[in-house]
Amino acid sequence: MTRNGPILRVEGLETRFFTEEGQVNAVHGVDMEIDDGEVFGVVGESGSGKSVTALSLLGLLESPGRVTGGEIWYRSAELADSVAEETPTAVDGDYVNLLGLPDRVRRTLRGTHFSMIFQDPMSSFNPSLTVGEQIAEAVEAQQRARSNPRSVASRTQGYGLSQYLMSFVSSSRKYVSEESRDRAVELLEMVGIPDPVLRAEEYPHEYSGGMLQRAMVAQALAGEPNVLIADEPTTALDVTIQAQVLDLLDEIQAETGMTILIITHNLGVVARMCDRVGVMYAGEIVERGALADVFDSPVHPYTQGLLGSVPDLGGSSGRLQPIAGNVPSLLDHEMPDRCYFADRCPKAMEACLRKPPELPVDGAAGHTAKCYLAEEPFDESTALPDGYFEGGSTDAADPADASGAAEVASDGGESE
Amino acid sequence: MSQYQFLIRRGLQGLLVVWGVVTLVFLLRFMTPGSPVDFVAPLDASPELRAQIARNLGLDQPIYVQYAQYLGGLIQGDMGYSYIRGRPASGIIVSRIPATLELAVAATVVAIICSIPLGVLSATRRHQPTDYAATTFSLVGISTPNFWLGIMLIMVVSVGLGILPTSRRPIGLIPAIELLIFQFETVGIRAWIAHMILPAVTLGTYFTAMIVRLTRSGMLDQLGQPYVEAARAKGLPETLVTYKHALRNTMIPIITVLGLQLGSLIGGAVITEFVFNWPGLGTLIIDAIRVRDWPIIQGALIVIGIGFVVINIVVDALYARLNPRVSLE
Repeated sequence: MTRNGPILRVEGLETRFFTEEGQVNAVHGVDMEIDDGEVFGVVGESGSGKSVTALSLLGLLESPGRVTGGEIWYRSAELADSVAEETPTAVDGDYVNLLGLPDRVRRTLRGTHFSMIFQDPMSSFNPSLTVGEQIAEAVEAQQRARSNPRSVASRTQGYGLSQYLMSFVSSSRKYVSEESRDRAVELLEMVGIPDPVLRAEEYPHEYSGGMLQRAMVAQALAGEPNVLIADEPTTALDVTIQAQVLDLLDEIQAETGMTILIITHNLGVVARMCDRVGVMYAGEIVERGALADVFDSPVHPYTQGLLGSVPDLGGSSGRLQPIAGNVPSLLDHEMPDRCYFADRCPKAMEACLRKPPELPVDGAAGHTAKCYLAEEPFDESTALPDGYFEGGSTDAADPADASGAAEVASDGGESE
Repeated sequence: MSQYQFLIRRGLQGLLVVWGVVTLVFLLRFMTPGSPVDFVAPLDASPELRAQIARNLGLDQPIYVQYAQYLGGLIQGDMGYSYIRGRPASGIIVSRIPATLELAVAATVVAIICSIPLGVLSATRRHQPTDYAATTFSLVGISTPNFWLGIMLIMVVSVGLGILPTSRRPIGLIPAIELLIFQFETVGIRAWIAHMILPAVTLGTYFTAMIVRLTRSGMLDQLGQPYVEAARAKGLPETLVTYKHALRNTMIPIITVLGLQLGSLIGGAVITEFVFNWPGLGTLIIDAIRVRDWPIIQGALIVIGIGFVVINIVVDALYARLNPRVSLE
């Protein structure tokens, strides 16, 4: 595997949900590059499209969600070789466009190349199977995917329904092999679970939240993945336990050199773990750069707002500054043709009524923001008046905007 | 609590329930108008003869004495003598149990085999033709009365097409199997199957339809759970995600319903048995009610009650096995 270039390059990723209320643009035009062995953080409010981005990467979106555009280039010479014949269009050198692969190939990548840690460990384990068995199952699935890529083409991947039915009838007929079980115990030990042999035989409800999150990390490591996606890995945990789980991820990253993508709304987690960070708002990455750059000199007013809403233990700088307003609707017909943050932005200018400049796709190390302020300083004279977006927009000076608003209103009238 | 303690405790509870059933069934006779003597005695019987008959049947005793005698008899397996046939009721009832059990089990097995895969398909192919077909079937199945379906099947399949026999079967399962094993003769088992199909379909249709619904909604619920997504994220094939992970949790409530239904099939097959003239408990009860043959009615009801209790204990034990969050307490 060559050492040049990022391990993951996401270009213009678009994910939409086709719901009864209309098309929801959960992710539109996300660009990012993640280097091999780095910890990349995606941070944003709930509803900003972080988790959907993660699910899109893994190909786990469920109907009515669908990736409608963009490319996800993943660097793996081994994978590029194996799929070059079948889908030559999805291969470019060592890079493979995951979105160009058939579903069954993408499935074999889960666990082996990419794995995922979920937010709530209690509901992310099957309540009626032992933790050990679930980890062993992951081990087994991934061994099969590795050793015999052909077998994964079958629906059951060589497991066989009869074997499953037998496991129902007789408890001595275990569904997974002894070797996988041993490996599961080993993995549990690796993530610091005491008495792993005993704990492997226990059910998820017998674990504490922190222990179970460790077990989930063990499960994610079963296939020795190259990229670990952690979706809010600590949100459901107590503060003290959170630190332990983060320590664990840190250790594992140091040991294996794995690339980690952390998705969180918690800036503390980002500050502690990440090398680089992307800030998401309304389905876009609005600011991206090295951790220190983004945190010390945020450009986008949204990032500034996020950072301003975190209590500072050191200095007492007075009251916290919440960001006014709410996350905008992501319904396609309700999304304005302007900067999506303008209506909440304390520094909104007339220029913000147009689409802000796109982020450059590459420029991995650079610090960029999807905001006019990145190019020019805040100009008081063009600032939009307070309350500009609060219903009074039709009376505003800008005629283009007024007609746009009227259109929206008439659309609503017709549909009623 | 160990499994044995659990079984013993549930067994004792079950005994209490059976005692309640016995008492109710016993009192039933005193709550219904008309004396059995009316049916047993000739129409022109003299008062002396009627008194004699009542004395012979033990009906002249006070109610508590009759109750004590009945309970005492039951403990020894004696359910009294059939008023009409003059033979021990217990023998008549026991001889009818296999036919009813065979029908109930056959209907249940057919229902399980058909309904669970259908429900799973319906859930995994939601809003596709398979799903619409399955939900339509289950709606029709639930709304079709048993007796009507039975009569229609007889009219179309037996009378119209002449494919399958209609009524009283010539041989039970056990004799048929004996015939097969000891004489390599398949006539018995073939006759058994031919006679079983229509009643089992009749009895199983409602049951199948209901479980299709339960499975579908249960699966849809489970497939939305985060652990399903997690199972997919670790690279499991979809078949395994569906059948191993989601179905396992869906089965927990279904097992309960299955058990209750099997219990009610044993008792509730009365109409189906009657339509097909099936030599089981249901037909026996109806025949006995016509002539107020109380020992038979009481005995058969008690046997059905015991069946219900036993099935419930089995279901509870199975439930704890399937669902580790429930301990046997």
